[in-house]
Amino acid sequence: MNKLSSTLFALLIVVTLIAGCTPAPAPSAAPAAPAATTAPAAPAATAVPAVTEAPAATTVPAATTAAEPTAAPKSQVTLTYMASQGWIKDAELELAKKFEAETGIHIDYQIIPADQYFNVLKTKLNAGEATDLFGGQSGKTDLKVQYDVEKNAVDLTAEEWTKRMDPLALDMVSLNGKVYGSEIWDVIASNYFVVNYNKAIFDKLGLKPPKTYAEFKAACEKIKAAGITPMYEPISDGWHHVLWFPMVGPRFEELNPGLAEQLNANKATFTGNQTMLLALQQMQEMYTAGFWGDNALSDTVADTDKMMASGKIAMFLAPLTEPQVAEKAYPDLKADGWGFFPIPLVDNQLAPAHPAGPSKFIYSGSKHIAEAKQYLAYLAKPQSLQYLLDNTPDFATLDFSGLKDKWSPNQKEFLTTYPAKTIVYQDAVNYLNPQWMDIGKDLTAMFTGTLKPEDVLKNIDQRRSDMAKTAKDPAWQ
Amino acid sequence: MRNKAYPFYFVIGALALYLLFYVVPAVMGFFYSFTDWNSYSADVHWVGLANLKLIFGSGQSYMRYISNTVIFTVATIVLKTVIAMGLALLLTKGLNRLANFHRVVMYLPAVLPMLVVSLVFKSILNPATGVLNTLLRGSGLGFLAQRWLVDIHWAMPSVIGVDTWRGVGYIMVILIAGIQTIPVEYYEAASIDGAGAFSSFWRITLPLLMPVLAVTTVLNLLYGLKVFDVVFVLTNGGPGRATDTVYTVIFDEFSKGRYGVATALSTILFLIMIVLGYFVIRLMHRDEVA
Repeated sequence: MNKLSSTLFALLIVVTLIAGCTPAPAPSAAPAAPAATTAPAAPAATAVPAVTEAPAATTVPAATTAAEPTAAPKSQVTLTYMASQGWIKDAELELAKKFEAETGIHIDYQIIPADQYFNVLKTKLNAGEATDLFGGQSGKTDLKVQYDVEKNAVDLTAEEWTKRMDPLALDMVSLNGKVYGSEIWDVIASNYFVVNYNKAIFDKLGLKPPKTYAEFKAACEKIKAAGITPMYEPISDGWHHVLWFPMVGPRFEELNPGLAEQLNANKATFTGNQTMLLALQQMQEMYTAGFWGDNALSDTVADTDKMMASGKIAMFLAPLTEPQVAEKAYPDLKADGWGFFPIPLVDNQLAPAHPAGPSKFIYSGSKHIAEAKQYLAYLAKPQSLQYLLDNTPDFATLDFSGLKDKWSPNQKEFLTTYPAKTIVYQDAVNYLNPQWMDIGKDLTAMFTGTLKPEDVLKNIDQRRSDMAKTAKDPAWQ
Repeated sequence: MRNKAYPFYFVIGALALYLLFYVVPAVMGFFYSFTDWNSYSADVHWVGLANLKLIFGSGQSYMRYISNTVIFTVATIVLKTVIAMGLALLLTKGLNRLANFHRVVMYLPAVLPMLVVSLVFKSILNPATGVLNTLLRGSGLGFLAQRWLVDIHWAMPSVIGVDTWRGVGYIMVILIAGIQTIPVEYYEAASIDGAGAFSSFWRITLPLLMPVLAVTTVLNLLYGLKVFDVVFVLTNGGPGRATDTVYTVIFDEFSKGRYGVATALSTILFLIMIVLGYFVIRLMHRDEVA
């Protein structure tokens, strides 16, 4: 390699570096088609306006300032928004594109895999480098302890759309009287996790929706004897099997009125509560009796729709809109062939009211707070909300007034048959939601016989106490 | 006898980078172990030995994950060394043709990223739909089919198996290099004296490979103590917490936001690795003339 070649290479490297590090200029000729670039484009020498979706585990820091090559003077701002996988529906991405066409503000969605999301978010908030908008599960514990909204989020109480939001949902995104987040979610159909059952199988075996745990157990035995797996319960993902426990919170509350408040004031504990112990023992029983099939420990949530369509399972735990979602993927599966009843543990007959859901917060350290507020207001406009509702199969309604919902007859039947009295425990009780995956691990240990139900409750209390003390909760001092 | 051809200041650049990116963070970590650094508040307070008390406290299950890590380390050291030794002998003394081809093939798993290997094996070892069990059932060996990654008794052995499959090639290549440095005359002399295959292995190959084996043992030891990705992807410490190792617990604590506790655990592991590594290297240099 002589001197000439090495000098030329050095020059090439320097030029590439310079080209990669300068921001992309506005395109002079209109580009052919906006390409959707995935993953971190390192030296982005092309100036193509794109909505970057990164479904892989990347936190793309590149904020491309791409301006629309159309006439009117538009804002050149890019808003960065990070969210967990599954929270951003396709219809919302369409709305973002429409917003950009109207105002020129580009929204850069950074999607992060669900199991890493909170790690990344907390690290960014801690380091003071969060994106302009960030997503988060609402609920008082999460707002106060996980995101510290009073420090990290912008007060949105004065926004117009807060008046149209469902009061229960609004309470979930508020702390100390101030509203911090925008929760646009179907807190009923998408949030009520109930037992979806195959009506055809039930009719064939002469079964009806059970009213007690004993009836449910008998039904499962009958289904199992007929060679069908009674319940599809995917434990492998680590979060699904936990649902059984906090979702019967309304029943715990029904049998011990005021329990949630006492738990929050550290005047009661999970340990020693006989109803909760019974619920865990019943879960253990379902597993050992084989009601969840032989392969529950390695089953995945992703295969739910496939299992539904196969006819090999009779029931599974999912939101009210799961049949509609499955029908889209497997057209032979008819959504109205599936009915619903509440989780039958400890004879529960109440609907699991669950107003907390994925919400958007504006980072207090953002440089574009006004634009972010503008975007949230745009998303909360009645037309945008109706568009989102109409184009998302897993939504039947939204938590805003004045919208046209799309309930199916089976869903309506469930809502009228089973009343919703109080809310589920992961929303009502502090320091429960953040330990979801840990409870999942303890439950798996319980199923495989290395942990006793009493110990699961003890561990829940221990972790609550650890979190409360770290967060300097006055009830634990 | 130091070769003083280059003056000391040639090393300053590399030394500065090393200090800045390795030593300083390690020392900072050491000090953070004694604080209550967490994700819920921006202030950091000195708490002394509180983190250590938490880790080794009576209600905690540190014995489980420490013993899992030790079991994993010992098992992989033994398995990898024995299997790699066998393969190395086979490919230097046993095979004449295509030896190079086989060496390359055996080494290939070490080139694959551990994440990829783990994801593929997670699919292969699925009890219901995985390739392994399907093969066993299809060839009439269905009684051998186990619930590989989800059965309490088979989870850790499966993880050890996957890690061994991947790591054996690397150790084998090092041992092959070592065997090739042994002069052929020793073997010729031994065969004249009437030594068989086993004798020449036991009395010539093994003793002369001791320094190489020390190197591979140190490598395997340090790797085993800090194992994380294979466990995380295959079982995530499960089923329940049966395959938790020190690093998955550190990761757990980090996820919970208890950064001080996580740093304390990793500092403890760091100190253990320094001590063990030092002793093994002392052993290695024991016979050398100072």
